[in-house]
Amino acid sequence: MFERLLNQTNAPVLERMLKFTAARQKLLAENVVNISTPGYKQKDLSLEKFQGMLRERIEQRDHGGLGSTSFDDLEAQLENPQRGMLFHDGSNRSMEQLMTDQAKNALMHNFVIELLRKQFQTMEMALKDRPV
Amino acid sequence: MFDILDMGASGLTAQRTRLDTIAENLANVYTTHNAKGEKEAFKRRFVVLGSGRADDKAKAGVHVQQIKLDPAPPIPKYEPGNPDADANGYVNYPNIDMSIEYINALEASRAYEANVTMMEVSKSMINASLRLIA
Repeated sequence: MFERLLNQTNAPVLERMLKFTAARQKLLAENVVNISTPGYKQKDLSLEKFQGMLRERIEQRDHGGLGSTSFDDLEAQLENPQRGMLFHDGSNRSMEQLMTDQAKNALMHNFVIELLRKQFQTMEMALKDRPV
Repeated sequence: MFDILDMGASGLTAQRTRLDTIAENLANVYTTHNAKGEKEAFKRRFVVLGSGRADDKAKAGVHVQQIKLDPAPPIPKYEPGNPDADANGYVNYPNIDMSIEYINALEASRAYEANVTMMEVSKSMINASLRLIA
């Protein structure tokens, strides 16, 4: 029953999103750490593509009914973005871009966490039959 | 996620080593003798960074591959009275450009700061995740 309770809400979607932001934060941190490494290629995960994948699954679930679709296998692909200026040492670093991306990523992460918390709170309220 | 902090630490260490090297260059900008006391202008040092952590190259991070000596020849200056002068009255001074060192130092300290910021943000993300439980 608990399994169904957890999987019939938006919790699986939020959980995937959290995994994504955590993985992306790690890659962005790796890029910052290697900001002065010659020949280092920037790594990133595309938020747009991942959200597209999530949207597809959500639509699939909307047709099949709650709990019909699994989100567990959704995984963003590692990319080497080609944007920005290529320096002579073969690196396309951009500190400004990285810091903006990580700020947005952290905001997204905290936002998703808040949503999850709210959802758990609601569930707790229902279980206890009184506001927590 | 805790791994990010170790990775950030590897970045801090690398940038600090880079700053140390720059400080050494600046300190020895007029050094005309080597450690053995022989007449030899100090050679400029610089770090070569490589990706991968120092203890385990497979882990994401950064490490100092080696500290290299700048092969540029010393700069002779005409100082006939100087005891270090050669037969023609020239003293060999290290080939260190102060402005280049300053710029590199600035870059290293900015990169260090960026790493600190990154670690702070990652810490706040970990904290937020922990709040899910409590």
